[in-house]
Amino acid sequence: MSRPLSFREAVTLVARREFGQRIRERSFFISLLITLGIIAVVVLLPRFTDFGAGSYDVALVGEPSGLQEAVSHQASVADIEVSFRPAADAAEAEQAVRDGDLDAYLDGDSVVVDQSLDDSLRAVLQNAYSQVEGARALESAGIDPADVSAALTSATLQTVTLDPDADERETRGAIAFFGTIVLFGQLITYSMWVAMGVVEEKSSRVVEVILATIPARALLAGKIIGIGLLGLVQLALIGGLGLGLASALGAIELSGPMITPVLTALGWFVLGFAAYASLSAAAAARISRQEDLQNVTTPVNTLMMVSYFGAFYVFLNQDAAAAGVLSVVPPFSALIMPLRMARGDAAGWEIGLALGLMLALIAVLVVLAARIYEGAVLRMGAKVSLKDAWAARRKVIS
Amino acid sequence: MLELDRLSRRYGDVVALDDLSFAVRPGQMYGFVGTNGAGKTTAMRIVLGVLEPDSGEVRWNGAPLNQDIRREFGYMPEERGLYPKMQIHEHLVYLARLHGVARITADKAASDLLEALALSERASDRVESLSLGNQQRVQLAAALVHEPTVMVLDEPFSGLDPMGVDSMAAVLRARVDAGAAVVFSSHQLELVERLCDAVGIIRAGRLVADGAVDELRGTAANRFRLAVGAAPGWVAALAAAVPGLTVVEDGDRTAVVELPPSGDDQSLLDAARALGPVHQFTPVRPTLADLFRSVVAEPAVPSGSEKVEAA
Repeated sequence: MSRPLSFREAVTLVARREFGQRIRERSFFISLLITLGIIAVVVLLPRFTDFGAGSYDVALVGEPSGLQEAVSHQASVADIEVSFRPAADAAEAEQAVRDGDLDAYLDGDSVVVDQSLDDSLRAVLQNAYSQVEGARALESAGIDPADVSAALTSATLQTVTLDPDADERETRGAIAFFGTIVLFGQLITYSMWVAMGVVEEKSSRVVEVILATIPARALLAGKIIGIGLLGLVQLALIGGLGLGLASALGAIELSGPMITPVLTALGWFVLGFAAYASLSAAAAARISRQEDLQNVTTPVNTLMMVSYFGAFYVFLNQDAAAAGVLSVVPPFSALIMPLRMARGDAAGWEIGLALGLMLALIAVLVVLAARIYEGAVLRMGAKVSLKDAWAARRKVIS
Repeated sequence: MLELDRLSRRYGDVVALDDLSFAVRPGQMYGFVGTNGAGKTTAMRIVLGVLEPDSGEVRWNGAPLNQDIRREFGYMPEERGLYPKMQIHEHLVYLARLHGVARITADKAASDLLEALALSERASDRVESLSLGNQQRVQLAAALVHEPTVMVLDEPFSGLDPMGVDSMAAVLRARVDAGAAVVFSSHQLELVERLCDAVGIIRAGRLVADGAVDELRGTAANRFRLAVGAAPGWVAALAAAVPGLTVVEDGDRTAVVELPPSGDDQSLLDAARALGPVHQFTPVRPTLADLFRSVVAEPAVPSGSEKVEAA
């Protein structure tokens, strides 16, 4: 009634259990919701802070002729919003400024504010005032007001952008940076799940029952693949829902160039997870109790933290030579390369080199981790030293 | 036939198994007894391939064990091993499938076993939500779900109430009657005596007694309990009448005596009748517990050092 399982069937069976068990756990959905909540906050935050910054309420006492048009014109040039409020006299305007209903009012040759005058509003008001006063002076010198007005309004500087994609690139960089944070969170969480899963099997001794049926490598591979797939699914959900949320809220425009960084991040997650999960599994196989987990996974987590701070550094110093190096050297490349790729900073050869080195590292780590795991996973009790785990493998395999 | 052939295993300086050999036939229930740390768990782990011996091998029907043969084995480790958060039925199906059983068959086998162990209502509960006794039943089910031809159970009865013991024993007996070879370790010697066809006693990694329970008890001593309606002093008279007779226990009315190996029980009876009416004449056979105490209490073999089981 039974037949031997191939290695692949065994791996599939284990991976399905890991995936199926964990996707039903409440923590999966809770962490998904929390991440989406953070995305929503990050997307919405600039809109709240923008409220005071780009728009002003101003009153012009005595309504000097032409000033309102001049202010509106200057405001549109400076890309800020100025709304005019009626004010019967200086006293009423002053009260409104004190109450915070108005940001500023103009009275004759002075501008009155409550505490300080915002720089961009100052420039707008100053330019408009000079324009109006200058026109009046020219007018009184006998020049046609219409000519003056035409001359002054047409004398606006045109902006010629040499790098028209900069905006878009910045946005992609921002998405990728946020992606790095999420990616780091995913890597550390799911590597930890692998480690906890390994210890759970050891501490409950179920590993003895399992390993009486399938090879240790199949159990290890199945566990990493199952949990990794779950991490990938969650990351894809975060990416998809996050982009959807951001575009629904009007923070970004959904287009190919915006989706690419998310796909890049997914790809790098797979690579980064393969490396970190192998390390975590090997570390966790050395111990038999969840309490000791912190102790053995600290080196792995430290490596991840260093990558993470590296990503911050690269985000802030995009042109530094170190940025180029860090984005190529594994395992740091897993967090840093997606950032540079999204911004379009990485050359093709750099991406190729980073991929090649990462794959090479993974190949080495998988072999090392599998051997440590096999050597240590059935040894209960005290922490197994790396040396013993390495040497023990001969016996378990034969 | 499952054969353990000259297994040795050390942990550092500690000898856990020292040339251990025994065999279990299909249709036989073999009790494996020994003091704590005598090497029972180590031996069982080696049979299941969870541990490698330093020397010696385990064979099934003459062939050295490999992963494929072990697929037909069922194992219940001493430290119970189940995923605490998995549902019971799902867990059993998973284990059966790891043994290579097809999904539909596994599904049915798991349901049937839970039925037999009176756990059907808990089928979709998580393992951790069960009482320890019930977890132990699930553990047994886990060892049985792929209908193994060989079962290796480490302390399957420890911690069970009498009803639990009976239901587990019945399930095991049914498997043995169906032709499975079952080895289990236990400290409950009365239970081993009652259930097992054969027993092995292990001390310090060596097998010191091996055979059918009756055989072991029978060869141990040639003792009889006698009650004779005669005046006090009849015991001494009897001892004088039968050459080589030793008095083990001397009460006023009854006594326990031991014949030399060559002694004849009928001439003992005749000698007793000559003294007066014999009210009782019963062969006294040592229990397994007596046997166990006597072999375990023997002085250690010269090479014997302190033995421990796998930590």
